[in-house]
Formats: sequence, C-alpha cells, structure tokens
Amino acid sequence: MGDIQLASAQIQVLQVLTIVVFSPLVSGAIAHLEARWQGRRGPRILQPYYDLAKLFSKETLVPEDAGWVFVVGPMVAFMCYMVVPLLIPVLTTYPMPLGYMGDILGGAFILALAGFSVALAAAETGGPYAQLGSSRAMTFGALIEPSILFITFTVALLTTTDLPYFEAAAARASLSQVIRPAHLLVALAFFLVVLNDTGRIPVETHSSTLEFGMIDEARTLEHSGPLFALLRWGSAMKQMILYVLLVNVFVAPWGLAGSRAAGSVLLAIVILLGKAFGVGAIFTVIDNSFSKLRLFKITEFMAGAFLLAILAVLVLYLGGG
Amino acid sequence: MTLLGVVPSTFSGGAEALALVVLLTEFAMLRAPLSRSQIRLYAFQSLAVSSLAVFVAATQHIDDLYVLAGLSFVLKVVLVPGIVLRLLGDSPVDLAGSNRFGVATMVLFAIGISVFGFFVVGSLPVHSHSLPAPALGLAMAVILVAFLLVILRADVVSQAVGFFSLENGVSVASLVVAAGLPLIVEVAFLFDLLVAVVVFGVLMRVHHGRAKTLSTETLDRLRG
Repeated sequence: MGDIQLASAQIQVLQVLTIVVFSPLVSGAIAHLEARWQGRRGPRILQPYYDLAKLFSKETLVPEDAGWVFVVGPMVAFMCYMVVPLLIPVLTTYPMPLGYMGDILGGAFILALAGFSVALAAAETGGPYAQLGSSRAMTFGALIEPSILFITFTVALLTTTDLPYFEAAAARASLSQVIRPAHLLVALAFFLVVLNDTGRIPVETHSSTLEFGMIDEARTLEHSGPLFALLRWGSAMKQMILYVLLVNVFVAPWGLAGSRAAGSVLLAIVILLGKAFGVGAIFTVIDNSFSKLRLFKITEFMAGAFLLAILAVLVLYLGGG
Repeated sequence: MTLLGVVPSTFSGGAEALALVVLLTEFAMLRAPLSRSQIRLYAFQSLAVSSLAVFVAATQHIDDLYVLAGLSFVLKVVLVPGIVLRLLGDSPVDLAGSNRFGVATMVLFAIGISVFGFFVVGSLPVHSHSLPAPALGLAMAVILVAFLLVILRADVVSQAVGFFSLENGVSVASLVVAAGLPLIVEVAFLFDLLVAVVVFGVLMRVHHGRAKTLSTETLDRLRG
C-alpha cells in the first residue's frame, strides 16, 4: 500500500473529495457532541447524510416571482466551495499543480463569491426573512473583511508570499516561528474570523429557529428540496474549508502527507478528520459556554478580531516578531 | 520564504508575546462592561508584568528584578485588586460604559492611538539589552490606551483602573529602557501606586456615598 504513488491530479481530486464527502460527517459529529454536552442524546453522527438524501429526493419548489438566479445561486455557491480546496493545503505539505492558481486572497474571493450568490438567490425570492438574512450577511461580511485583509498582510510579511502553503511551511520550520507574536496573533484573529464565518455562538446561533437572530441561516429559508440540500451541504463544506485553513495553515500544520505515497495521503485524510473534530470540539465548548451577542454588539466582536490582526501587522512592521 | 532568516529568537518572541498580553489586557479593560471584571483584568495584567520581570531577571541575570517581581506580584496582583474589590463590595453591579461612544468605536480609537504610539517610539533610536525594542512601542501603546480608558469611560472605577494600569505600562517601559535600575527607585514607584490606591479608594467611597452610583455622569450637572 505504501509503495503506490499517486499522481498529482489524483491527489488534487482527493483533496476536493475529502471536503465534499466528509464535511457532513464533521457537521454531524459537532452537532452530536454539542447535544451530548447539553445533556441531550442528540442526532446521529450520520444524520446530515440522511438529511441530504431526503432533501435530494424531494421536488424543487420555486417561489412565483423568483427567476433563474434562485436556482443557479446555490449551484454556483456549491461549485465555489469545490474550487477552494484546490488552493489550500488539505492533505499535502507540497503545493498541488493547481495550488498556484490563487493565493489566500483568491480563496477569500471565491468564498465571497459563494456567499454573494447565496445572498442573491435569497434576495431573489422577495421573502422578508431571506432578504433580511442576505442583507445582514453582506453587511457583516463587509465588516469582517478588514480583519481578513490584515491577516493576509501578516501572512505576506511573514513569508513574503501570500500562498497558504508557505505560511504552513514556515510554522513547521521551527518552534520560534510558531511562538512569534505575529503568528500567535494572526492565528487568534483567524480563529475569530472562522467563528464569525461559520455562524457560531458569539455571532449567531446556528441551530436556532428564531428568525430575528439569524444571519447566514435566514438566507436559506425560502429554498427547498435539492437546492436546499446544496445549500446545507455547501455550508458544511465552507465550515470544513475554514477548519482546514485554521488547522493546516495557522494552528497545527503537522500530519500532512509529505510524499505522494498512497499510504501517507490516506493517513493525512484520517489525521485531518481528527483535527477537524478537535476544532469542532473547541467550537462546541464555546457554543455551550457563551451566549449570543445582540445583533448590534457583533461589531464589538469584529473590532476584537481587527485589533488582533492589525497588531500582528504592526508588531512585524516595527521589526519585531 | 526569505524572511525566515529574521525570525526572532525564542527569547525575544516570548518576551514580545508577554508584552502583547499586557497590551491586549489593556484593550480588554477598555471594553469590559463590568467594573469588577476590569479589576480582575488589571490583576491579570499585573501578573503578566510580573512574569515579564521574572523573564528578564532570569535571562539577563539581574537578581534585583526578582525582588521587584515578587513585590509587584504581592502588591498589584493580590493586594490592590483585593482592596478595590472590597471597596466595591456594597456598590450596585451596573454596566459601566462610555456615555459618549460605543465599544467598537472606542476600540478603533484605541487602535489608532496605539498605532501612533508604535510609530513615535519606533522612530526613536532605542536599543535595549534586556528586551526586544518593539516591547517599548507596546509599553507606549499600553500607556496611551490607559489614558483613553480614563478619558472615554464615565465611571470612577475605570479612572482608577486606568491610572493603575498606566503604571503597568510604565513598568514594562522601564524593563525595556532601564532593567538594571536600582531597586530603591523601583520600590519608590510601587509606593506611589500605594498612595494612588488610597486616593482613588477615598474618591470611590466619597463619590459612591454622595451620588449612590459609580458613574461620573452626575458630575456634569454640578453647579458652583
């Protein structure tokens, strides 16, 4: 097994497949763990797969006044989420051939395009809650953007490139690279960004049914059947992509495959799942120990993320760590 | 990956990270809604400053600093927060904030002013043996944000905590610039802090006794 060498294209496809296939599993495991810690029995770990299967077998209902954007939006978003894993270190320490297509900003743009197309599809329906969700998602997306930019600047200053592979390689290179203040700050800032973008507790209650507190969740209210399945699956993929970025670029870029041997690539998949469950467990703890911020207090959270990101740049700029 | 050559050593990385903790706690104090959590944050910040002193003492072999770190631990981590928390014992738990700006705006102000501090200090030709030079910029930022804390928030506790944490910023700066300062001078600084605690303690009690609140808002309506 260990002697079989995989072609670059195969590993590249495997990266996408890992995200596509296992993202509902990660979501299911997190939901299960969260319920357990709240003293509930919780859904099965495989529940998201059953949900998707059920939704795909239903018919698609389109609101009367909605046009083609309503149908195309979720598909575009799903495709965007399939493109991003090509650019980031999912399984390997070495960049894949298509990994040079885009840098961190490129990945962020594609994720933003996905968010935009979902918001457009939601706005197309004319449903009040869906429109409220899409306008909120766009507003808060714009507010978190400065933090993402400054995180990118920090990575650029740390590695002189803005390819995620090099940031991960730098962190693997030595311990002093990991504990340098700029790296710690940027990892923490990215953690907060992930918390925001996955709709977790200080910002949004992801499992809530109360429309007034919803941001991302409200956008999908008007969709049903296969389109809703695509949206659900897409948000699970987005969550796993962000987890992968967090662990494999900033926090724990260890355990990735260093060679093309099939054995080490498969091992990397297993380790990645372990790391994703670990991150999910941390998010679950946060979910269970804090309360949701009021909508107008979310800017305070974002100011915190921005503070960490800008301090990282400043510390580097002044010739320090 | 050419910048890998200028990676700070584990020593200066760790020292800077500690100085950053001091600055981040200052920001946390600026945005903390409860007076009591502000005081706990002050205790934590003092703990970080004491650890920084121990860190410098251990790496630079300056034995005086151990004494200073011990003294400032007893005083600033245990005694002062304890006294202030006791003084607040019978005051109502209200959400103290700024009546002028929202939290996010205050943090943005503070970011702006710390950037200013960073660049002003960065342009000074200061070379330190004890701590990496950016630590001085961080200390300057702590001092400036402490000023903001005193100015922007409208309650007595914030003014006291802002003043106390100002002293923490000065301590960090003194560790960078003059780590080998004679012990007696450093102890004199700590004595100053004790006097400040008494003054602010009296201020808090008198204000609370008269206005039945810790907010300084009512002071705006005073007439001569």
